[in-house]
Amino acid sequence: MHFFIQELVNGITQGSLYALIALGYSMVYGVLKLLNFAHGDLYMVGAFVGYFVIQWFGGSTALSIPVPLLLLFMFLLAGGGVGMLGVAIERFAYRPLRDAPRIAPLITALGVSFLLENTMLLLFGASYRDYNTSAFISFNTGIHIGPLNIDLVQLMVIGVSVALMIALTLFVARTKLGRQMRAVSADREAAEMLGIDVDYTIAVTFFIGSALAGVAGVMDGLAYNNIYTLMGFIAGLKAFTAAVVGGIGSIPGAMLGGLLIGIAESMVTGYISSTYTNLIVFGILIVMMLVRPSGLLGKVPLQKV
Amino acid sequence: MKVRISLAAMALTALVAAGCGSSNSSTSTTSASAGSSTQAASSSGSSKACTTEIGIEAPITGQVAVLGDEQLAFAQLAIAADNKANGTNISLVQGDTQLNPAQATTVTQQFTSNDKIVGVVGPAGSQEVEAVGPLMGRAGLAFISGSATNPALTTSGKNPTFFRVVSRDDVQGPEDANFVIKTLHPKALMIVDDQEVYSTGLVSSMIPVFQKAGIKVDHESVSQKVTDFSSLVAKVTPQTTVVVLPWQVAANGQQFGKDLQQEHKNATIVGTDGMQSSSFTIPGSYVSAFGPDITAIPQDAALVAAAKVKYPKFGTFGPPVYAATHVIDEAIASVCKSGQTPTRASVLAAIKATNEPTSVLGQPIKFDSKGDLINAKWFLFKINNAGKYVLVTNS
Repeated sequence: MHFFIQELVNGITQGSLYALIALGYSMVYGVLKLLNFAHGDLYMVGAFVGYFVIQWFGGSTALSIPVPLLLLFMFLLAGGGVGMLGVAIERFAYRPLRDAPRIAPLITALGVSFLLENTMLLLFGASYRDYNTSAFISFNTGIHIGPLNIDLVQLMVIGVSVALMIALTLFVARTKLGRQMRAVSADREAAEMLGIDVDYTIAVTFFIGSALAGVAGVMDGLAYNNIYTLMGFIAGLKAFTAAVVGGIGSIPGAMLGGLLIGIAESMVTGYISSTYTNLIVFGILIVMMLVRPSGLLGKVPLQKV
Repeated sequence: MKVRISLAAMALTALVAAGCGSSNSSTSTTSASAGSSTQAASSSGSSKACTTEIGIEAPITGQVAVLGDEQLAFAQLAIAADNKANGTNISLVQGDTQLNPAQATTVTQQFTSNDKIVGVVGPAGSQEVEAVGPLMGRAGLAFISGSATNPALTTSGKNPTFFRVVSRDDVQGPEDANFVIKTLHPKALMIVDDQEVYSTGLVSSMIPVFQKAGIKVDHESVSQKVTDFSSLVAKVTPQTTVVVLPWQVAANGQQFGKDLQQEHKNATIVGTDGMQSSSFTIPGSYVSAFGPDITAIPQDAALVAAAKVKYPKFGTFGPPVYAATHVIDEAIASVCKSGQTPTRASVLAAIKATNEPTSVLGQPIKFDSKGDLINAKWFLFKINNAGKYVLVTNS
């Protein structure tokens, strides 16, 4: 039983990060019908911002500020900074292609992904950077019941992710800007004709989606320590998978898909073998797509007859 | 609002650029370009005679940059010392492979098309040697690795100009396994490969030894790109007292060790070769390495002193590359002494005839017909509570 709970917690931790990235994919797809392949790399940029914040305040073993303040700075700077980066990418790379054939922004997104990866590579090198979290958040904090160990960082990742997902859901459902996002997502032209500032709404969508990815990047560094410039590719791929499994364009679907992929990975590793983790998880994806192509919570497209 | 967003976006770009000032930002290129040529000083005066180039293929950037930088530093030390001793004018051309076979291939193509390069040190990883061996063979270019240990590299016959100055996994693997059995007495263990040929080769040589000793073996596999091992670590049972990680990326081993600590598992990590690095410092762990601790070899005092200035945090990856570079330097010098201009063919022949009674590795250097070092040794280190490597035993 302890083993099952341990693997479940491990899976939810990783799945929460996938969910946060998948949310950005889904939100952007919702408003622009664009698969932003650069999104995983925004996650990577967020992880690096968090790392440099730690160095700025003295490094992991000699911090000059209390840890809660450090975490706040990391989340705010990564979220805000990566959010603005996402806005800039939308403004210069995607907006000019808004009315172009769908393949054009898709190729541009791939180009932006390579640009981000290689810019970071050029600026900071390809070596791993180590958050060394245990130097400022001890392993001994958290929940320890017999063989079950859930440390503070895992609890924080899950807690922050859940809080952000709830905040986003409320924002989209209850605020004026959220209504505008839903309107643009439903029908961009109609929203424009109703007086909604579509450019602004899309920019806000990119900001929020990118900020979530940036915060997820910081939490990846805190939980798993090692960050590197190509880490966004794998994470982005899995988050994209999560978004599709959950139903691309659906916010609750992205959350569900992320958690499912994370839990499936940890359960397969724990109960079968790590050798088959990717094989089985992506096998599940294929089966689900065959059974329900629109995803778990995606809308089945109406067929007009 | 639109103007504000654009200005803010530009400000962010400035923020990212400023951030590099607070880091150890590296501006080395990651493309597999031939890079810069390091002109080693020839202080003995005869600068025009015996002028030629050696290439080095190493993971100068990337996941194991710590090891590649060490290899590069030791190659540079060897070139400087040998140029001084022999009156030669050998230069070192750098090629960054990032431990990636595709990049190693690109670097090799650049080296083979450069007629001035008559020998190559590296590449570091067995998977890279596999990729570049046939190319090197077609070009007749000798290459000596200071760290590629997969047995098939010399037994397959596909790499006719390949040599190595380190032991092979089919010797090191079973010896390491026997050490684990005799010293750590595990009833059950987990062995995890990193899905590269170096690792899978070692695992396949060790598992039969463990199984023959009646130990329950859980064989797992994770990609080098994975940084989260918590689910795998959760599988480590109280009976699993040893985890064998024949991994190339020490930082991953360090994270695995941290996950073991976080989940309060008492298993001892036994790593190999690439794990011997300042990136892996989990106390109580063992690492089996193909290179000696040169600080314990009295004849290496001068090298140790020079290395402490050039690359203070050296481990066991630098000295074999020093030895490999020295072999090529001596081969070039011997060709020049016989009155010929060094060519790939003459340098290759001279390397095959290498017969050094002593070396920085603390042993003679002579190659067998397949390119293996005769009587190659391996060394076992334990990490103490201060994170330092202490020699436990050697072959």
